[in-house]
Amino acid sequence: MAAVKQTIETVAALEKYEHGFTTDIEQEFAPKGLSEDIVRFISAKKDEPQWMLDWRLDAYRRWLELEEPTWAKVDFPKIDYQDSYYYAAPSTKAGPKSLDEVDPEILAVYEKLGIPLKEQAVLAGVEGAPRYAVDAVFDSVSVVTTFKKELAAVGVIFCSMSEAIREHPELVRQYLGSVVPTSDNYYACLNSAVFSDGSFVYIPPGVRCPMELSTYFRINAKDSGQFERTLIIADKGAYCSYLEGCTAPMRDENQLHAAVVELVLLDDAEIKYSTVQNWYPGDPETGKGGIYNFVTKRADCRGDRSKVSWTQVETGSAITWKYPSCVLRGEGSSGEFYSIAVTNGHQQADTGTKMIHLGANTRSRIVAKGISAGKSTSTYRGLVSAHPKAKGARNFTQCDSLLIGKTCAAHTVPYIEARNGHSVFEHEATTTRLSDDQLFYCQQRGLSQEEAVALLVNGFVKDVLQQLPMEFAVEAQKLVAISLEGSVG
Amino acid sequence: MTLASALKTGDLTQLPSRRDEDWRWTDLRGLIRAVPPASPPVDGEVAAGPFDGLAADEILFVNGRQRHAAAGDAGDVVALRFVSATEGAAHAAAYAIVVEPDTTLVLLESHEGRAGGYFSDVTLDIAVGEGARVERIVLVDDHAEAIDVVTAEVDLAPGATFNQTVLTTGARRQRVETRINHPGAHAKVRLDGVYILENQRHADQTTVVTHGGVDGITSQLTKGVVDDQARGVFQGRIVVQPGADQTDARMGHHALILSDKAEVDAKPELLIFADDVACAHGNTIGALDDQQIFYARQRGIPEVEAKAMLTQAFLGEVVERIEHDGAREIAAAWVAARLGRAE
Repeated sequence: MAAVKQTIETVAALEKYEHGFTTDIEQEFAPKGLSEDIVRFISAKKDEPQWMLDWRLDAYRRWLELEEPTWAKVDFPKIDYQDSYYYAAPSTKAGPKSLDEVDPEILAVYEKLGIPLKEQAVLAGVEGAPRYAVDAVFDSVSVVTTFKKELAAVGVIFCSMSEAIREHPELVRQYLGSVVPTSDNYYACLNSAVFSDGSFVYIPPGVRCPMELSTYFRINAKDSGQFERTLIIADKGAYCSYLEGCTAPMRDENQLHAAVVELVLLDDAEIKYSTVQNWYPGDPETGKGGIYNFVTKRADCRGDRSKVSWTQVETGSAITWKYPSCVLRGEGSSGEFYSIAVTNGHQQADTGTKMIHLGANTRSRIVAKGISAGKSTSTYRGLVSAHPKAKGARNFTQCDSLLIGKTCAAHTVPYIEARNGHSVFEHEATTTRLSDDQLFYCQQRGLSQEEAVALLVNGFVKDVLQQLPMEFAVEAQKLVAISLEGSVG
Repeated sequence: MTLASALKTGDLTQLPSRRDEDWRWTDLRGLIRAVPPASPPVDGEVAAGPFDGLAADEILFVNGRQRHAAAGDAGDVVALRFVSATEGAAHAAAYAIVVEPDTTLVLLESHEGRAGGYFSDVTLDIAVGEGARVERIVLVDDHAEAIDVVTAEVDLAPGATFNQTVLTTGARRQRVETRINHPGAHAKVRLDGVYILENQRHADQTTVVTHGGVDGITSQLTKGVVDDQARGVFQGRIVVQPGADQTDARMGHHALILSDKAEVDAKPELLIFADDVACAHGNTIGALDDQQIFYARQRGIPEVEAKAMLTQAFLGEVVERIEHDGAREIAAAWVAARLGRAE
């Protein structure tokens, strides 16, 4: 019963959206709107070399020719791309050299969010407690990256993207845009033109990254969009586990978050990428406000026997449009996708994955759990394809949807394209509602209806939660419980 | 836009193409470059159809023109034949069937290619009255160079039963689409399909079942075998509209790929807007089990025969669901013949 008790306590302790506060700090903005000048402004602000500016401008010109995709099962008013700030950063004199120079207001934000930015604070914890390095991105800039020295000692580069462009241009030039090409899709192209910051990770051959790496994204400024870019390169035989978290204040306007994440894996490399996405979902009653989360994430398993694992818990955002994908190029490479998408209120989520089998004996596994409540819509959309050369490819897909209430919707739209006679593809999907019998049983044992729902839902998503690193699993479990609060009865 | 209307207006840009989501795997626009001539009327005898002898009466279309209509008292087993008899020519046919309440109809439909490279578009409207039972068996035997689109729109009344099995060997480009308006209300639907494809044939089986009311049942099973450079397409969509509670919908699609140049594309969709439902789909695509082939060979059965035997058993599951005895036997023999096995 310990787990039950914990669930009850968490549910009781939680407000509707606890990260919805705003912080008043001095910020500087680029002028509103989007033009070549803004792209130049961002590039100049970050002191970028000419090649980077050219790359951005090329992306911007391509973006002008692209059309916004409309195939997803999401419905939102047309976005006015000229009515947003593309760059918002806390004012600082020069870049802060240490934590002491960071605006205490910002540090307070992260403290409130429970993100340890002080290395000592982490160290002072219980002995043997897991440590993780954090790159904290606040609106358009990275404010601090922890444990850099310790990571550098084993050769791991962990820094913000702007720093990487300055310090490691050869790596950035080689890999940036090699997984998600500039004009891959409308939002990725926009990101390529205006991306402001994000994390850069390079793990050298044979190195197992000694601690979890993580990035925490926070949108704070009003009317601004966040466009971050993350690039992780795992060289031969390297391993790393990367966590990503995000929150935003509660506002009545919609804000755009269009990120691009690129993972490159060489021979025998492994990356475990976990996301707990908790952007502000908008007002649950009216559906006003909330983040538009239009994200392109892709892993390129270039090396033989490389392995990538995406785990995501999507509870926030007014609209989620996100398909973390795996290009399984290397022989014997494998990709995994574990997802929980919880929608409540007026949220809309269209999410899933693509497993593209190009190499022989490649394997992939998809476990997607969607939970819809309130007036929300949740769609699983996925593609599994095998090239004629991908002999011996194997895929297993399981998509389950759970519906809570009469006014929500759950859709499953899988695409399977098999092009050779030596692969096996299995796909199964179910859609059900919370079982009355199970709810009754729990309530009979003294749980309130809400607690019973939280318990059953946690059981439903257990397969995925187990894939998350420990500290995330706890947070994710709580998130699933809060997101569903008030959805029954 | 349909093949029929594009052929009629001569505007080939109206043809569905890969850019249309529902036609992404069955491109017509890229294939039909010139407007084909209209099929001429054909007189003279037409050889017997595949269901000859089973039906009391038949409705016969040759090159899109109706040659023979069933008598009013034709009984409850009727053959519906669409014969294409002119090479390189195009025709379209439309036919409506109304099934009176509490009656039974076995519709034995055949699409018979008696020439090469024709263009055929058939549209059927089937209205099934309250408590009525319909079993529709569709045998599509097209020429390898033909382009054929068959679309059926089925409206069910409460308590109606509609069972369907489509068997095809594909064509240059072929699509059999069935759209069902399912009222729930204890109406039952069975939608099955079999495709056996070789060489460069293409077959697309598309179904859309829209559940509009409470207490509806849908059960779908499609199986296919593709060899050489053939391409099988299955698109199944089950929509459960708001309020259509207690819907029980199950969809299965299973395919065997026998060659490294063959392709199977599948999109089993569930769009659910009601919470008290049980909906599921399963989809598997793979090769024949090597162990089973090994076992058969060990017992002295040559590999070719072992493969045909296993394939026949694989497809047999669908054929066995046909209720009408005569039609089931003909379907089983048809499958066996296509796999090179005598019954």
